[in-house]
Amino acid sequence: MFIDVLIVGIMVGAIYTLVTIGYSMVYGMLKLMNFAHGDVYIFGTLLCYTLLAQAHLNPLLGILIAALAGGILASMVEFFAYRRLRAAQHRMISMITALGAAYVIQNTSELRWGSQVLPFPSLFPSQLVTVLGHQISVTPIITLAIAVFFIVAFNLFLNHHKMGKAILCVSQDIPTSSLMGIPINRIISMVYFLGGMMGVVGGILYSASYNAISLGMGFRGTIVAFTAAVIGGIGSMSGTLIGGMILGISENIISVYVSSSYRDSIMFLILIVILLIKPTGIMGKVEQDKL
Amino acid sequence: MALRIKKNRLLVYAGLLASAIVLPFVVRDAYFIGMVNFIIIYSILCLGLNLILGYTGLLSLGHAAFYGIGAYATAILMTKHGFSFLPSLVVSGLLALFFGFLLGLPTRKVRGDYFCLLTIAFGEIFRLVTQAWIGFTGGAMGIVGIPIPELAGWKIQTEVDFYFLGLGLLGFTYGTLHLLTQSKFGRAFVAIREDELAASVMGINTPMYKILTFSIGSLYAGIAGSYLAVYQTTVTPSNFRLEESCLMIIMVIVGGMGNLAATFLGVTVMAVAIEFFRFAPEYRLLIIGLIMILVLLFRPQGLLGASAFKD
Repeated sequence: MFIDVLIVGIMVGAIYTLVTIGYSMVYGMLKLMNFAHGDVYIFGTLLCYTLLAQAHLNPLLGILIAALAGGILASMVEFFAYRRLRAAQHRMISMITALGAAYVIQNTSELRWGSQVLPFPSLFPSQLVTVLGHQISVTPIITLAIAVFFIVAFNLFLNHHKMGKAILCVSQDIPTSSLMGIPINRIISMVYFLGGMMGVVGGILYSASYNAISLGMGFRGTIVAFTAAVIGGIGSMSGTLIGGMILGISENIISVYVSSSYRDSIMFLILIVILLIKPTGIMGKVEQDKL
Repeated sequence: MALRIKKNRLLVYAGLLASAIVLPFVVRDAYFIGMVNFIIIYSILCLGLNLILGYTGLLSLGHAAFYGIGAYATAILMTKHGFSFLPSLVVSGLLALFFGFLLGLPTRKVRGDYFCLLTIAFGEIFRLVTQAWIGFTGGAMGIVGIPIPELAGWKIQTEVDFYFLGLGLLGFTYGTLHLLTQSKFGRAFVAIREDELAASVMGINTPMYKILTFSIGSLYAGIAGSYLAVYQTTVTPSNFRLEESCLMIIMVIVGGMGNLAATFLGVTVMAVAIEFFRFAPEYRLLIIGLIMILVLLFRPQGLLGASAFKD
């Protein structure tokens, strides 16, 4: 039914938004494509799988530990692979170290968890509710609610908390923020930490609603995050939401009504078309090259 | 003085050529020659990539796709349409050139890091389509049973035969690229790399040159792919993953961007390093990843680089 496809699409869109936020912020701030993002959140999600399915921990505690681990890993990547390269040099250098970091994390996860699909436990009861005479599973609705909660909470944090405002300042102008007494390194670490955490939450929600997790979702997640960020306009929060939704909904419609084996190819095609036609995205600002 | 240097250089080239020719007769170990053959393939690939990365500063992470286009073109032409090797080689190269031209077109307006993403997307689409389009590319199983190539009556069968075929292709690649970079075009490439704005003000048609380098670099990847197809006798999508493109990029950087001869060094160093860790194949990506990070942190200009990345 179309309505079910749409609901699942919206849920996936919200999860994608969650995964994309950290990525988009890093790009907005440092103009760095963090290729390690997907592998970081898959690491956290796999850790959560071990904690829940094998160690039988309390789900909330397990998710908290996994999210913290993802956040710490993300800020470690920043510290080791990117920080030294931030000063002045060409952007592409840190793009290559980012890919290197992605491979290191991916391989480490593979040594522990292998690359096969693992059965991630469900987090919510699989009841059906009747809405407007229509049977709908509650899982996507609860997942959607949680994802929206995190998105809203993060936006409130950004716009009202002192630290969030500092993050916004740094993404506008690093040297000036530094002169205003904002500790740049700590703020950037914080952005990576939060981005990694939210990515892990997104990864857990995604894996729990499909009951599956595999290593391959990491690189795919990076591309999803980038595509969503570019569609919406990179660095813009509302753009991230729009981009995530467009991607999530269109992806579900395509895999149900067109073909699921070409689903990812079509996503890459969307990315190419957007990059060619409107690289600044829907909500993005045009950036003038400084001479 | 200049004449003497030229003479010395000629002597060096002659010596290298002579030792390359006697190599398989001195070292008769098929395993060793096999490894040298892979070094040759990657050298062809990386020489083309060095033209793109080192001479115009475009970061292409889709080089493996052009390699794959060449390999699949040769595989399909030779197994399904009865082509012999030489025409397949030419078609493979031209097809890669054509796709390189298409993907190079956006360099006119898309910025550097977005262009890099474009190349990743292109490479992934190539891999996903070859996996999904079973009727044309054989899906994940790929194409098997590519016939033995023949060049003017010479049946290319053993590792040593392939070594000489590879050497010929490598010689063609290096020779043509060397001439190109020494020409007016090469000086324009360097001018663009050093300062794109200044180059365009001096009247160099920078968009045209970027598209040109990108398509020419891809042409050589197509040639390497064609060689791979007949050498392996099979092609599968897993030969052309993103990590292959990354490996090529890091080979070029380790050697030194913008220095063609240094590419051989970079390819050999990386091939030996990977071979050295062969006892632990499950750590392959970890090692490549660590090398990528460490090289760029501590020596981004590579071992013999002309210049590091510039803004």
